[in-house]
Amino acid sequence: MYRRSLWPALALPGVLWLLLLFIVPFYAVLAVALGTVDPVLFQPVPIWNPLDWNVGWLSEVLSRLGPGGIWFDVGIRTIVYVVIALALCLLIGYPVAYYTARHAGRWKAVILILIILPLWISYMMRMLAWVNLLQDNGWVNQVLMFTHVLSQPRDWLGGSASTVILALVYGYIPYLILPLFAALDRIDRSHLEAARDLGASPWSAFRTVTLPLSKTGILGGAVLITLPMFGDYYTPNIVSSSPKTSLIGNQIDLYFHGGPQPTIGAALTIVLAAFLLILMLYYMRSIHRAQREAGTVGAL
Amino acid sequence: MTHHPKERWNSLNRRGFVLRSAGTVAALSGAGPLLAACGNSTNVPGTTGASGELAGPGGLPLARPDRRVTLPRWEDPIESGLKPETGGTFTVFNYPAYFYKKLLTEFGAKYDVEVQVTPFDNINSGLQRLASGAVNPDVMEITPDTLDIGVAGKLIKPLNLDYIPNLKKNVWPQLVDPFYDGESRYTVPYTVYATGIAWRTDHIKEDIAGMEQPWDIFWESQAYSGKVALLSENRETIGMALLRKGITDINTEDPKLVDQAVSDLKELYGICNIKVDDLQYQTVPEGSSWLHQAWSGDMIAGYIYYLPKGTPASALAFWKAPKDKRPIQNDCFAVCSTTKKPVLSHLFLNYLLDNGVAYENFVDFNGYQPPLNEIDPATLVQKGVVPKNLENCVLTDDDLGPDSLQYGTLTSQGQRLWEDGYSDFLAGGGS
Repeated sequence: MYRRSLWPALALPGVLWLLLLFIVPFYAVLAVALGTVDPVLFQPVPIWNPLDWNVGWLSEVLSRLGPGGIWFDVGIRTIVYVVIALALCLLIGYPVAYYTARHAGRWKAVILILIILPLWISYMMRMLAWVNLLQDNGWVNQVLMFTHVLSQPRDWLGGSASTVILALVYGYIPYLILPLFAALDRIDRSHLEAARDLGASPWSAFRTVTLPLSKTGILGGAVLITLPMFGDYYTPNIVSSSPKTSLIGNQIDLYFHGGPQPTIGAALTIVLAAFLLILMLYYMRSIHRAQREAGTVGAL
Repeated sequence: MTHHPKERWNSLNRRGFVLRSAGTVAALSGAGPLLAACGNSTNVPGTTGASGELAGPGGLPLARPDRRVTLPRWEDPIESGLKPETGGTFTVFNYPAYFYKKLLTEFGAKYDVEVQVTPFDNINSGLQRLASGAVNPDVMEITPDTLDIGVAGKLIKPLNLDYIPNLKKNVWPQLVDPFYDGESRYTVPYTVYATGIAWRTDHIKEDIAGMEQPWDIFWESQAYSGKVALLSENRETIGMALLRKGITDINTEDPKLVDQAVSDLKELYGICNIKVDDLQYQTVPEGSSWLHQAWSGDMIAGYIYYLPKGTPASALAFWKAPKDKRPIQNDCFAVCSTTKKPVLSHLFLNYLLDNGVAYENFVDFNGYQPPLNEIDPATLVQKGVVPKNLENCVLTDDDLGPDSLQYGTLTSQGQRLWEDGYSDFLAGGGS
């Protein structure tokens, strides 16, 4: 009896945290999105009773996001940027995590510290630092011209998609590397040795043993970085400021910034959250399946 | 007719529908029929005042340069002859870095208070924070187009001008009794600025001031792609597109005109990969932006603070249209309803209109011109504060008047129209 109640009790702080810092605030956003607006002060007036919810704002947001709507392009653009940034993060981050976990030896701690070090500075300061480096006469252009990669300075800050995507990669890649490193570090070396003993080439061993066993790390890291990327508005503002590279987060920011329609911003937040929930469900299903395949007993 | 916030005038009651449908909750993909059955409950009735004309928040009349409005006092001002409050803190609710800290400290020392600045992102969000009780400042900055919200929401207090003699003594006559706040019942002016075009003469080859329609330069800026920007303000951006086509009603609520202006702005995506920001005071002097919609004070501030050593002042230029074709604005200061120091708050408003204080704040700090009689372009050029080529950045009382253009309060529908139009432009799609 003691054993049966102990583990649920230990989960209580987490449940309370979830309730207070997620469920309640999320419900508040929902109540605002399905509420009304004070016609004098333009403050959102939340409606807490679901039976009285006003779905007009939600309907408006969905129509704007649909094909032909004013936000259709920015919605697609956001998905494309996040997918590309995620792919680049994996392409760059996986080898770093792999090397750190499997081959760094006594340099493991040092490499981890170097990966974490930029996070000691706020995201805003790091992006502003990049604005300086990416100026026409900044260090990036100077180095690229010195090495003859470029023959003249590139306008990195002139509103280009590549700069925004690379900034997203820079800003979020440590959050991918760390969980990936943890997953790779946990892989029992004997699995790999067994694969090699059975005649697998290094690439085969990686493909059939390491990669599947690191799936939870990949998915975990991907979730950690894509969720905030979808809501990012700051990065395109800092390194681009062009409407052609704006993300859906910029629209949320616009409507929440004291205008007469904060409910539109809240409704857009809800729609975005619903979209991300679908991705989260896929993540949870994949984790559950991976755990079952690994022989872990558990249930969602 | 005005609506009381509790009336939920914008809602459709969901109770009956949900009960009849046995509480079925549709998945998001199936929400279409459900939402369609509810209809569009975001429609906003036009707000009219007592005279039947369109009105702003709280039914207050919409002030325009040729339509003076005297706002009703929602309470009596404080009595004359009271002693100022001392001790504790005195809070100024303002944009960050918009008032010289040295001058605030001196004010605090004079009245034995600690002056602190609580910043806001913009005045609309500041008013919402004030209304929600999140902040309790003594004084705040406000603009003519948001004044109605402050008054209708009883967020700012009526003034007793006996405590503010500098208003009549030092300020431009047109702003002692402005059209948006007749008798200065609630506000005093702070800075004044016109909207125009700033550019780098060493990069932009065109004679912008000599063009038949200088705003066209944005639509002819292919050669400067990536270096061209507009202000990140929905009224200014859409307003510019209207002015370019010769439409001087910059407070229009005609959806056709606003939609056309947005459509024109979207052409700039392909022409110059247009950017939007409010960093022109820095980016133009530094050379990272070559052509920027700007306020007149930006180039003065840019010249004083951001022009790199070795870059001549002649590299900066500013153009503004003639009086009846360009927006001119001023911002103001008001006493907040939350103040516990109403007398001191009045004295602060008087303080910022002192010639010496206002001049020092302008020249040594924010670069935005106070509307004072003692400050004129020729004097500033003579003193070397402003270079000759930026003399047109300095404004005079003659720049105001019934034939001037100013962004005023819109109805709720009008505000939504402009905000949605700007959202469309900012989304960067479907050009």
